[in-house]
Amino acid sequence: MKIDRLLWTGASLLFFAALIWFWQFVSDNRWVSPVFLPGPDRAWNAMMRGLQTGDLGLRWIATIERMIYGWLLASLAGIFLGAVIGSSEMARAYIGPSLELMRPLPASAVVPLAIALLGLSESMVLGVIAFGALWPMLLATVHGFSAVEPRLYEVSRALGLSRSAVIFKISLPSSMPDILAGMRLSLTVALILAVVGEMLASREGLGSHIMLAARAFRSADLFAGVILLGVTGLVSALLLGWFESWMLRWRESR
Amino acid sequence: MLEKQHAGSPVLHIDRVNLTLGGHEILRDINLSIREGEFVCVVGPSGCGKTTMLRLLAGLYQPTSGDVTYRSTRMTHPRQDIAIVFQDYGKALLPWRTAHGNVSLAFEALNAPREGRDDKIEQLLAKVGLGGQGKKYPNQLSGGMQQRLQIARCLAQTPSVLLMDEPFGALDAMTRQGLQDEILSIVRGTGATAFFVTHDLEEAIYLGDRVIGLLPHPGRVAIEVEVNLPRDRNQLTTREDPEFLRLRRQLFDFIKEAES
Repeated sequence: MKIDRLLWTGASLLFFAALIWFWQFVSDNRWVSPVFLPGPDRAWNAMMRGLQTGDLGLRWIATIERMIYGWLLASLAGIFLGAVIGSSEMARAYIGPSLELMRPLPASAVVPLAIALLGLSESMVLGVIAFGALWPMLLATVHGFSAVEPRLYEVSRALGLSRSAVIFKISLPSSMPDILAGMRLSLTVALILAVVGEMLASREGLGSHIMLAARAFRSADLFAGVILLGVTGLVSALLLGWFESWMLRWRESR
Repeated sequence: MLEKQHAGSPVLHIDRVNLTLGGHEILRDINLSIREGEFVCVVGPSGCGKTTMLRLLAGLYQPTSGDVTYRSTRMTHPRQDIAIVFQDYGKALLPWRTAHGNVSLAFEALNAPREGRDDKIEQLLAKVGLGGQGKKYPNQLSGGMQQRLQIARCLAQTPSVLLMDEPFGALDAMTRQGLQDEILSIVRGTGATAFFVTHDLEEAIYLGDRVIGLLPHPGRVAIEVEVNLPRDRNQLTTREDPEFLRLRRQLFDFIKEAES
C-alpha cells in the first residue's frame, strides 16, 4: 500500500523531470527561437535574479495578496448569500434563475464595466476577482444548505436549538464538504483573475510583470513569472487540500 | 411510590384528534391518555399512522382538529423535556461530531453550564454502554452503538417523556434484546413516561404497560390491552409467561384480521 504510493509519486516526479529535460533539449537545439522560448536554465536564472534583487518577489507577493483577499471576499460573500438562499425555498425560487443567468458570465467580460465604475484601481481588481470567484462559492453553498438532512432539522427542533445554533451547528458544518469544494474552485478562479486584472489595470504584480516582459521580448523573465504562478497555484491547492482533509476528517475515519 | 405515580393524572393527552395531511386523512378520532411513568407501546400495520401519532405527541405536527396536551398545556411546538429517539439513527446523528460532541449538542441547546459538562457527557455515554468511546465519530460505531448514542443524547435532555419511533427496528435480534432491557431500566430508573412505536408485537408486550393497536386508512385506535405482567421483565421468563403468550395471541389475531 505504502510502497504503491511511493512508486506513483516517484513516477510523477520522473515524468516532471523528463518534461524539464525535453524543454532544455528543445531550447538547446534551437527548435524554437530563444527570443520566444528560453531554456529552463535561463528561466530559472531569471527567476532567482528577480527574487534576489527583490522586484519579482514583491510582485509575486502582490499577486498572492490580491488573490487571497479577492478569494476571501468571495468566500465570505458566497457563504453568506449561499446560506440565505440555500436555507429558504422561497429565496431559491425567486433568486435562483437570475443567478443561473449571471453565473456563466465570464468574469473578464465584467472588467470594462468594473473599470468604468471603479477606475484602474486596486479595488477594481479586487472587485473583479471577488465577482468571478463568487459563483463557485455561492452555488456550492446553496447546494450544501439545500441538501442538509431534513431529519437533523427535526432533531434540532426536538432539542430546542435556537435559530442561529441551527445555522452554525447543523447547516454550516453539514454543508462544509460542498463549501470546501467551492473554495477550491474559486481559488483557481481568483488566481486567474488576479493575473488578468493586473494585466488590464497594470497594477504591480506577476500579471503586469509577464505582460511587460512579453512586450520587451524578455522571454526568460516572462517564463520566470509563469513558473511562479504555477508554484502559487500548486502550493495554494496543496494547502487548501490539507485544510480540507483536516476539516472533513470525520469522513475518512472509518 | 411508582405505583402511586402510575395511577396519577395524564402526562400526555390526545383528545378527539383528527389529522389530514395533503388531502389524506391520516388519523381519525384518536383518544389516548398516558399516565405518569407509564410505558405505552403502539403497534399496527405499516401506514396506520403510528409514527404520525408520535409526531403529534412530539409537537412536530399539529392536529387538524382536537387537542394534544402535555400536563394540561397544548403542544404547539416541541419541548425540551420531551425527547425523541428516531428510528434512523444514522440520519439523526451529526456525522461531523464525535460521540461526545453529539451528546454535547443537547447540553448546548439547553444552554447548560459548561462547567462539569464533559463529566456529565462521559457519565451518559457510560450509562448507555459507550464509556470511553467519546472520541469516536458515528461512522466508527456499529448500528447498535449509534442508537445507544442517540439515546444518550436524549437522556441529556433529562426528559420526562421519551418518544421512541421503532428505535430498534434496524438492529439484529441480540442487540435488540440487550437494548430492550437497557431502555426499560433507563425508563424505570428516571421515572420517565415512554411512548414506544414498534411493528414487533412481542417487543410491544415485553416493554409495555399498555399496548395500543392501530388500523390504517384512516389510522384509528382499534385495540387496547393492559399488560398485567410483573414490572420487572426478563427476556426468558417474561416471554414464557402464559399471560405474555395470551396477549401475543390476542394481538397477533388482531393484526392478522387487519391485514386480511
